[in-house]
Formats: sequence, C-alpha cells, structure tokens
Amino acid sequence: MGFQKFARGTAAMALVMGAATAAQAEPLKIALVETLSGPQASTGLLYRDAVKYQIGKINEAGGFGGEPIELLEFDNQGGPVGAADRVRAAISEGATVILQGSSSAVAGQVTEDVRKYNLRNAGNEVIYINLGGEAMELTGSKCHYYHFRTSPNAAIRVNTLLDGMKEADVLGDNVYAMNQNYSWGVDVQDNTVAAADRLGFTVVEQTLHDVNKIQDFSPYVQRIQAADADTVITGNWSNDLLLLMKAASGAGIDARFGTAFLDQPGNIGNAGAVAEGHFLSAPFNPEVNPEETAPFMEDYKSVTGHYPSYVEPATVFGMMLLQEALKEVEPTENGLNAADLAVALENATAETPMGTISMRGADHQAILPMIVQEVSLDAQYKADDTEYGFVPIKVISAADAEQPVQDSCQMKRPG
Amino acid sequence: MDQILFALLNGTIYGLLLFMVSAGLTLIFGMMGVLNFAHASFYMLGAYFAYTLQPLTGFWLAIILAPILVMGVGILVERFILRHVHEHGHAHELLVTFGLSVVIAEMIKMVYGKFAVDYRVPAELNFAAFSLSGIDYPFYRLFMGGIAVVMFIAIYLLLTKTRVGIVVRSAIYRPQMVEALGHNVPMVFMGVFGIGAALAGLAGAVAGAFYTTNPNMALELGVMVFVVVVVGGLGSMGGAMAASLLIGITNSLAVGSDFRIADILILIGMGGWAEEIGGLLTMRMSSLAATLPFFIMLLVLVLRPSGLMGEKE
Amino acid sequence: MKYAPLLLLVTVAVLIALPWLVSGSMLNAAVQMLIAALFAMAFGLLCGQAGMLSFGHAAYFGVGAFAAVHAMNAFGGEGLLPTPLLPLVGGATGLVSGLLAGYFSTKRTGVYFAMITLALAELLHALAPHLKTVFGGEAGVSSFRMPAWGIGFGSLNDVYFLTLVWTLLCIGLLYLFSKTPLGRLALGLRENAHRLRFLGYNTHALGTLIFAISAMFAGIAGALQSMNIEAANYVVLESHISTAVVLNSFIGGVRVFLGPAIGGAVMTFFGHVTSDLTRVWLLYQGIIFVLVMMFLPRGLVGELVERIRNPSGEGLARTLSTLLARLVSLAIAAFGAVFLIEFLQRFLSPEYRAGVTDGNWPDIALFSYDWAPLSVLPWAFGLGLFGIGIALVTMVNRRVAARKEAQA
Repeated sequence: MGFQKFARGTAAMALVMGAATAAQAEPLKIALVETLSGPQASTGLLYRDAVKYQIGKINEAGGFGGEPIELLEFDNQGGPVGAADRVRAAISEGATVILQGSSSAVAGQVTEDVRKYNLRNAGNEVIYINLGGEAMELTGSKCHYYHFRTSPNAAIRVNTLLDGMKEADVLGDNVYAMNQNYSWGVDVQDNTVAAADRLGFTVVEQTLHDVNKIQDFSPYVQRIQAADADTVITGNWSNDLLLLMKAASGAGIDARFGTAFLDQPGNIGNAGAVAEGHFLSAPFNPEVNPEETAPFMEDYKSVTGHYPSYVEPATVFGMMLLQEALKEVEPTENGLNAADLAVALENATAETPMGTISMRGADHQAILPMIVQEVSLDAQYKADDTEYGFVPIKVISAADAEQPVQDSCQMKRPG
Repeated sequence: MDQILFALLNGTIYGLLLFMVSAGLTLIFGMMGVLNFAHASFYMLGAYFAYTLQPLTGFWLAIILAPILVMGVGILVERFILRHVHEHGHAHELLVTFGLSVVIAEMIKMVYGKFAVDYRVPAELNFAAFSLSGIDYPFYRLFMGGIAVVMFIAIYLLLTKTRVGIVVRSAIYRPQMVEALGHNVPMVFMGVFGIGAALAGLAGAVAGAFYTTNPNMALELGVMVFVVVVVGGLGSMGGAMAASLLIGITNSLAVGSDFRIADILILIGMGGWAEEIGGLLTMRMSSLAATLPFFIMLLVLVLRPSGLMGEKE
Repeated sequence: MKYAPLLLLVTVAVLIALPWLVSGSMLNAAVQMLIAALFAMAFGLLCGQAGMLSFGHAAYFGVGAFAAVHAMNAFGGEGLLPTPLLPLVGGATGLVSGLLAGYFSTKRTGVYFAMITLALAELLHALAPHLKTVFGGEAGVSSFRMPAWGIGFGSLNDVYFLTLVWTLLCIGLLYLFSKTPLGRLALGLRENAHRLRFLGYNTHALGTLIFAISAMFAGIAGALQSMNIEAANYVVLESHISTAVVLNSFIGGVRVFLGPAIGGAVMTFFGHVTSDLTRVWLLYQGIIFVLVMMFLPRGLVGELVERIRNPSGEGLARTLSTLLARLVSLAIAAFGAVFLIEFLQRFLSPEYRAGVTDGNWPDIALFSYDWAPLSVLPWAFGLGLFGIGIALVTMVNRRVAARKEAQA
C-alpha cells in the first residue's frame, strides 16, 4: 500500500467520520427551570409561554446547527432547594443553557449553582440566562461570567419611572417610598432615595413592610396621607400591590402610584378603576411602534392564546438576544461550547419592536429601552377584559435607561 | 389624635374580620378538639362562590347564597371524611383537613386560574362613610364590621338563650354525658361544622370583594385564624372576639410605629452599643408587625394556656 | 420478621450500588429522599415514640442547615471541620436550639404543645429575613464544599455517599436509642405521662431531652441538605416544610420504626417524578394525604407490618390473591380518576379556553388520543373506569368480610 493510497483512505475515512459526527450531533438542549406548580406558579407559567414562543420562532428559522433546539422543562417547585435539584437534573440531561425568571431567591440559588458547577467542570460550562430575577446583587456582588440578565433591574426600573413621571410633570415634590422588606424592595427604596437630588424631589418617608403577609394596608395608607405625599414609588407586586392601591383608593387618597409590576395579569381586573392614573415602567407597551408591535401581538396571541403582557415581552426579547448570539456560534457534537456562546452573548444585540437591546459585557446586564406608561381608559389594548389598559407616556431609549455598572461586580473572565 | 383614632378603627375592623373567620373554628375546636386546617379554605370558597354567583344573582343574593353552598361543602366534609377519621385520633383529623386544604386550593386554581379574579365591591357600596383630616373612610369597611358584630350577637344569643345552644355548649364540655342524655351528638357536630363553615364562607364572600379573591387567600389567613382561636381560648366565643380585636389593633398600631428596641436603650445610655449591634435591636416595629400575633400566642400559651377566656385545657 | 436482617442487608447493598444503577437525575432524587427520610425519622422519634406532635420542625432543620453553611464558610472558606464532619455542626446547633425550644414547648401537651412549636417556628421564619448577617436575606447564604480526606466532594456521587453514610449512621443511632432505657421512657411518655410522673420521673426534663435529640437529628438532616445544595435560604424555615415532614411521617406510619423514613422517601420520590409530568401534582399529593389518613391510618409501613404480624389466617396464596385483586381494582379506579383530573385540567386551562371560538371546541389530546370535550366519550371513559374500580374494590371487600363471617 503506497503512501498516497493510505493518505487518500484516511482522508476519506475522516470525511465519513466527520459527516457521521455532524449527523449525530446532539441538538442544543435548553432547560427552563421554572416554578410551574404551587402558589407562585402563575408567573412561572408566563415565562414558559414566552420561552416556548420564541424557541418555536428560532426553530422555524432553522434551529441551531441544522437541528431544532430542544426545550426541557423542569418544575423548581417554587424554592431554592427544588431549583438546585432541577438545575442538576437539567445539566445531567445535557442542557447547556439554563433559563429561569420568577423569584430572585431562586435566581440567587441558580446563579451560584451554575458558578460552582463551572468551577468544577472547566471545559464543560453551562450558561444561566436570568429572565427576570431583578435583584441588584445578581449583577453586583454575585455577578459572574456565565450569568446573563435579560430583564431590567431595580435601578433601571426606578430611574426610568422617576424620569418619565418627572417629564410628564406628575411626580410632584413629595415622594413616599413604600416597599416590601427584602432585597428587591430595599433596592427600589435605595434607588428612589438616590434619585432625589438629581430630580429635585423630597423623599418624605420610607417604609418597608412584611412580604405577602399583610391583609390590611389601611394603617400604611394613613402614613402616606400623614406624610402628605404626591407620589408613592413602590416595587410591590401581586397582592401587596393590589391591597395597597385598593386601601389608598378607599381612603380617597389622590397620591399617584409609580410601580414596577402593575401589569401583572389579574391586577387591573381586580383593581378596576382604582388603578386608573397610576404609572408603570416596563420594557414593553403594545402602542409603541405599532407597525412592528401589532403583528408581534397578534402572532403571539395566535400561538399562546393571549396577548403578551407582564414578563412575557421582555422574555421574548431576551430569547431574541440568545437567538442572535447563537448565530455566531459553531455547533459541536455536544450541542455547543458554552464558552463560545458566552463570548457571543456578551456582544449580542437584537432588534425588537421596542428598539435595539444589547448585552453589556461588564456585568452582563441587558441594556434595553423602557416605556413609562399610565393606566387609562384610552388604551388600545385592554388589560384583563376591563376597559383599562396602559398608555405610553414616554419611551426611554436603551442608552438613556442604562444605569452604571455596580462596583461590587468583580467579574472573573476566563483566560 | 386622628391618627390613633384611625389606627384603632382600622384595627377593630380587621379584628372583626378575623373574628368572622375564626368564630366557626373555635366552636369546632372546642367541641371536637379538631384543629381544622381547611377552615380558611371555606373562607376562600365563600369568596369564589360569591364571585361566581354575583353576575347571575347580584351582589346581595350572592353573599347570602355563597355561605349556604359552603355550608353544604362543610357538611359533606364532616359527614364523609372527618367522621370517618375521628376514631384514629386528633392528629389524623388534623392531617386529613390539611390534605383537604391542599385539594381545595388546587381545585380552585384549576377552575378559576392562578391569578386574582375580578371580584369587587359593588359600586353602590363603594363610597366614603365619613372623612377625618383628609382621609376618607370607606363605608364598606364599616359594613364588614357591622356584619361581624351582628354575627357575634346572633351566635351569642343562639348559644346562651336557646335550647340548641345549651346542647351545643354542653357537647363542648361533656360530649359523652350529652350523648347519654339522648342527644344525637354526631348530628350536633355536623350542624356546628356546617354552620362554622358557613360563617367562614360569609366572611369570605364579604371580605373577598374588599381585599382580593385569589387562590392563596386561604394560606394568607390560615395560620392567623389558629392564633386567634388559641389566644382566645378553646370554644370561647367571647375569647375569640377579644383575641381577634387584640390582634387586629396591635397589628394596626404596630404598623404606624417607628419604635425600636434601641430607643429604650438610648434612655439608659446604651444607644450607641445597640446601633452597633444592629439586627433585632434596630429593627422598626412597623416591619415586625406580622410577627406580633405569634409573639402574643407564645406569651399566652406559656403564661395562660387556656387562653384569654377559655375554661377548658 | 426473621427475614428482616436479610432484607436490611439487601437494601443497604442496593443503596451502595445505586450510583451505578440509576441516572444522574435519579441519583439526585435519591439524595433528597435520604435527607427527607432522616428528617422524618427525627420527627418520628418525637411524634411516634414520645407522642408529641410538633408543627415547627422546620425550625431545627433550618437551624442545622444554616449552621452547616456558616461552618463551611468559616476561616475564609476553609471550613470549621473537614467536609465529611460538617453535619456534626448542624447536629450540635439543632441540639442546643432543641433544648431551648423544648424547655418551653414541653411545658404543655397535646394541641398546646403543637401550637407552641408552630409559634416558635413562625417567629423564627418571620424574623429570619430581617437578620441578614445570619440568614443572608432573600438570596440566602452560599457556600462551597471543600475537598477533604482525599475526596473531592465535587461530584454528585461523593455527595450521595456522604449523605448515605450519615443517614444510615443516624438511623442506626435512632434504632439503638429506641432500645435504651431513655427510649423506652419516651414510649411511657406517650402512653401515660401521669403514671410516669407518679413513678418519680421528671416528665418535663424527659420531654425536653427527647425534643432536643429529635431536633439534633433534624439539624443533621438540615446540614446534609445545605451541603447538598451548597446554600441555605430562609425558605427552609417555611411552615410547609414543617407540615411536609408531619405528613410524610404519617403516610409512612409514625408508630413503626422505619415508617417515617419510608414515608419521607416515597413522597419525595413522588414529588420528583410527578412535578415534571403534570401541573396539578399538588392536587394528587393532597388526595393521597386524604386517602391515606382515611383508609390507612397506620400508614403504609404500619399497615404492612400489621398484616405480617397478624396474618388473616387464610393462607399465603389467598392473602396474596386478595391483595392482588385489590391492587388491580384500585389501579383501575386510580387510572379513571387521573384521566378525569388531567382531562378537566386541560379543558379548564386558559390556553384551551383561549382556543375556543364560536362554539368550536377543539379536541384535547390526552394519553395519545384526541378526545372531543363536548362528547360523552371522555367523561364516560374516566367516570366509568373510576366506577368499575371502586365497584371491584367493594366486591373484594365484601367477599373478604363474608369469608371472615363464615369462619367465625
């Protein structure tokens, strides 16, 4: 056997083997580790809808490496213990990207689990895309190279909200910070206080109350009244927000509420007229840029059965960032190399109906446009089958919405 | 002054609501020794039934029919589940009701979804009763308080002035004796259980419109109701009323207070030390409001285990 | 019961071989099951042996978990003790807090005891988020398992064996404890505390001691948990953790020695498997609680032990065939019920309701068939199976009763 023949044979074999491995390449597995049962499942299921929607879009566009992306769903049962368990299960089933959004407590566990796993398994890293854990420390003291947050955070929410309300001349001079007593509420309070000098208002009082334990908010409302507040800035969500607003309305208080999560499904339906004239800062409003937004709204509804709201649009946009990043990554036989994807994600930008969103390399916080909006009868898209909806007051561009990187983020980069 | 007045009024109304939910539980607890975990679920059922009926029958009929439906559920639970478990002991009764509360909550989620439903105070009741230093006081709060007071008087009269009441009260203290005297004690139990469930259902139907009607509302109130029953004393209506008001008012006052333990220590010159230690010492009373009921319960259990007005231990 | 040692040996052998037998995800579940089993055993000592129903055992589990995390982080992450010995820290903290809490709570008995334990646990749970330095606030406290004794403790296998050794050791100790005079006195406390006092024993001190020992083992379980997930969060103090351990123990059978452990393991496994399969697994869990409390008051293991100890006297073949008949009919009924619940759940889900347009009700896919929701078929299918199953069970029960009557 001559050398040439040997070489040709080897080359042919290599080709065949190469083709074989390419054909056998594992599809990319993405795991959604969400709260799908129990008291907090309502939000988890919205994340699930949004993720399924956009992965469907990616797969329609050819998937990844010629294969459709496989979405694995895990129920974290609402707590960090269940989440730790399911993150391991997801990794052992071959997931290289982990998605999670509801609850910062769970996000804290997942991001730490991913960090430790990557320390122990260099070369086989996994990526955590945080779709909605908005606590500052996730991109602060807990930030690490494989964590990416695609939702806004407390600083972005509060500052855009205050800017928008100031510009619309509805902020007033006296601002009351009413928040839940845990990291998120404290972040909102701190950011409200920090913005006081810049925007020229006084924080008349700051209150932190127990989370999800208070039935009767009237004593708190009384304090709002006693402090003579024009505006109440609150990070409260779900029942704590509803009960607070209802108590305020019952007491005939005319202070405006500036909120972060007023668009949660059920809120407007439950509050009804009580919610009218209150404000929200969120990454989406259906009336902005209608040429692109309206088709998105209709398409989303045709797939999931409802218009996107609350965390869903931002989740879809976050998945668009992932989609863009995936275009820059070469498939491997295990799906992909997470280190490559991390590099691509760091530099990813995506065009959404709300404008361009991008990932900031320094702390892996998404930079995205925010829309300050008001609950009004004039809204084109109504919420919860009521006559109310959200009307945009001001669109704040991604550049203006950006907040500085926290000093506490000491990100260790590979190499 | 107005502030304190408001705080007292708010606390009283909240206390009265707690009383409405716990009135039935304290009877059941006193009579059968059953800590019924599912009791707050009856409260939730009341709210959801009223929400469902409201478009068909209007608000008033809905808050009358909903408790009756809840009573039906309560009677079924007692007859076909609790009675079956009774012979196995109190622990089993308690756990079976816990299982039931899970089942009820999950069924509600299945039928009505996981978010709060659109159950609101009807427009004709949604007005301010009076106004004090710029704050309106919603009429509906007074309405809820009024219902609770009427309920208290009705139960009190029923228990003390009627023959049925005498049988019920004696069944609480000496069930065997009452049985020996020829009364149908299981029937009495079933009746009391049904009425207790109906009272909780009424509370839910009325309060669900004012607060929110969501699948977690039983969870939120559940433990607080136990606290009321234990603090008040087993089987004591007056005790339940006193405990409800105590918890409602302390809660309301605590929320308005910025008191810190460190403030006392400043008086004796240890303020700096307290600030340094931080933690519990520098926590504001207002952020601890939710822990107070448990603290009260602990004190009562250690110092006076039969409760404020209970006679039976 | 002469096969008991053999059975035990086989079980231990299977447990040791488990990492080579099952997938990573299952091994993960196995770690959780072991922890739940140990926690339930700790509770079983208090409730089953000494007859004190605690509603706040999450407190001691949680205290142990936090103690272990802080011990892991001590000395700049070097750890207070080598990794395999860290559960001792959890146990010690559990013991101390158990002594304190036990002193107050065992002053009372029955429901009052239960309410004191509940109040203590709720107080701790309500205070924990405010005490950020100890409980780390909402994000919890994170830690890292350091290698020790030549073992990396990075892989799941290492964690599994660490948990297995500690769980078996603790269960062994609990068994030995039940044979000591103190363990026998615990039974006395359950059966007749008055008499014990009359005999000159200090029942309050005895109760406190048993409470503390139970809290110690709960603390070890908590420590194993936080070592497993390398973090502790104040949600471990939540009341549903306390109720879960009560329910698990009673489902297994609180009065038989290994009952709580098996209850804990079985229910954890159930949650692990079903929570990814169906959205309403909590409903199934609730139904199981209710059914077990109603029809198997001794618990799964308790009932089994009872049957073995007091055979029906019908011979092995007959007993087995009755059992088989019951199981088959129950399975039919259960399948019918599951079908109905799953069908209803899909039928009522918002996604489905959104898809309904102008009286056009799309088919619902379930168990790889499409069912038209407005036809009688799916409802009749589910209800029919359920009815047939129940009828069969009733028939078997009647036959057994008739045979017993004939014998008598």
